[in-house]
Amino acid sequence: MSDLALLIPELILVVMAVGLILVARRIQRTPVAPVGTVFAAMAAALASGWVLSWGSKTGFGGMIILDGYSQFFKILSAATLALAVLLSVRSLDGEQVPRAEYHALLLLATTGMMLAVSAHDLLPLYLSLETMTLCSYILVGIRVERPSSNEAAIKYFLLGSFASALLIYGISLTYGVTGTTDFAGITAALSGHGPGTNLLLLVAIGLVSAGLAFKIAAVPLHAWAPDAYQGASAPVAAFLAAGSKAVGLAALGRVCLAAYSSEGHVLSAVLAWLAGLSIVVGSIIALSQTDMKRLLAYSSITHAGYALLGLIAGTPDGASATMTYAFFYVFMTLGAFGVVIALGERGEKLDGYRGLAAQRPGTAVLMLVFLMSLIGIPPTAGFAAKFVVILSVVRSGHMALAVLAVVCSVVSAFFYMRVAVFMYMNEPQESPPARFPVAVFAALAVAALVTVIGGISPGSLAPWAVSP
Amino acid sequence: MNEYIGIAVSFVLAAGIAGATVVLGSTLGKKNPTSEKLAPFECGKDPFSLPKGRFAIKFYLVGILFILFDVELVFLYPWAVVYRALGISGLIEIGLFLGILMVGFVYAWDNGALNWE
Repeated sequence: MSDLALLIPELILVVMAVGLILVARRIQRTPVAPVGTVFAAMAAALASGWVLSWGSKTGFGGMIILDGYSQFFKILSAATLALAVLLSVRSLDGEQVPRAEYHALLLLATTGMMLAVSAHDLLPLYLSLETMTLCSYILVGIRVERPSSNEAAIKYFLLGSFASALLIYGISLTYGVTGTTDFAGITAALSGHGPGTNLLLLVAIGLVSAGLAFKIAAVPLHAWAPDAYQGASAPVAAFLAAGSKAVGLAALGRVCLAAYSSEGHVLSAVLAWLAGLSIVVGSIIALSQTDMKRLLAYSSITHAGYALLGLIAGTPDGASATMTYAFFYVFMTLGAFGVVIALGERGEKLDGYRGLAAQRPGTAVLMLVFLMSLIGIPPTAGFAAKFVVILSVVRSGHMALAVLAVVCSVVSAFFYMRVAVFMYMNEPQESPPARFPVAVFAALAVAALVTVIGGISPGSLAPWAVSP
Repeated sequence: MNEYIGIAVSFVLAAGIAGATVVLGSTLGKKNPTSEKLAPFECGKDPFSLPKGRFAIKFYLVGILFILFDVELVFLYPWAVVYRALGISGLIEIGLFLGILMVGFVYAWDNGALNWE
């Protein structure tokens, strides 16, 4: 039973989800589901911090690990869940979305995320990532009456299944080489022979990295993200862009440092290519987008590349740089999506931002903060985050990649700033947007607060960003 | 390679028995075909229709509910084999497992998946 105590945060979310499913038909028109989900998320975040006070330990035969790294990402997942629920308050009213099922799926997806970051074995890692993505497929297609939503879900499902197959194939090859799926066992088995000598192992590492790169939408496994985000409702897109990306990075970090660390040079070559391609392709394609959700999707692809920069070094310092990046990225992305959600239909088109500053100065300022953070302009958290990952890549000796990252940062400033120019330097063309509910405002305020505080005192997160 | 011989033998046996029944049936068997007998066997719907034809969504729901009980059985069977060794904790765990599966069933029932009309 003591093993179960390691999973208290997950159990809280599962109990809430099962409860919502049981009474689904009776609470569709009441606010029980969103309120319950927010409370469950807060309880899970508190529990994640509380169980850490027992110190690091493993359970379930070494399959589940509890350490600073896992609890950091568990709290981040819980925060993503709470903010996504707050952001979906009004958009659910307008659509024919069943409330209880929607929130139960969000809870179960978050449970998968939390299990994935504390997995210390390839099979629980695979299972928990599948839990997360299966719920995500349904969430993307939950607006059943919209053909675009169905199309996005089918595309996401087909590509996602393919990526899962790559991951499980890589896992089976790893098992073939090392005879175990346990991270500690893999490290022990690989310490015997020299790095780079086993071709099968290199294929396995490539396949596992590809499967995980799909989850974070890194180029060349990014094609699903713009379509899925555009077809999904904006809160679901925000949840995917923030949550599944942070968890994919966490899983990749754990696999790099805890399982395949002896093959570090191969991994850093793979990750360097993924990062470089994501940064370049994401920045360039984003220039031509006119749909805000697609623009933010390409922005999230670019950010996946920046976050990967920290993992290239293969050192604990690099991993904590990626953790810092993932943390700030989650809040600034949720904030930017939050403004899109707050503006309703108008917020989904780039032209909808024309003259926003004259009509809604407060919303425009919030958007400006998030945009500055996404570019990486001080004093916002985006600058602090980009600084640590680029510093890490410079220290690992990849100077060309660091220069590329900085240059693409300037390129990306163009498409982010275009939104700001539309807001501040154009005449309004549409009637002012409706006032948004207080829940959406609360989520935006939290996201803005973290973005600003992270920029003013970038070191505030350092004590918690402990790598595995 | 010795440990694979058993597998190879079972492959040969399986192919041999399956092949023998097909060959013997088609050579020795009495043939008295009618149009009904020649129709491919399928249950639940008309054996022949163009693929563009519609397919009742009810069958899909029944399929999902079948998977629910199928998964249940897949886990119950190995548990039943070793249930004495697992003792009371195994009983509690399988109870929890069945409980969670039944939540799905209750949800489907509650939302009318079992009403044929």
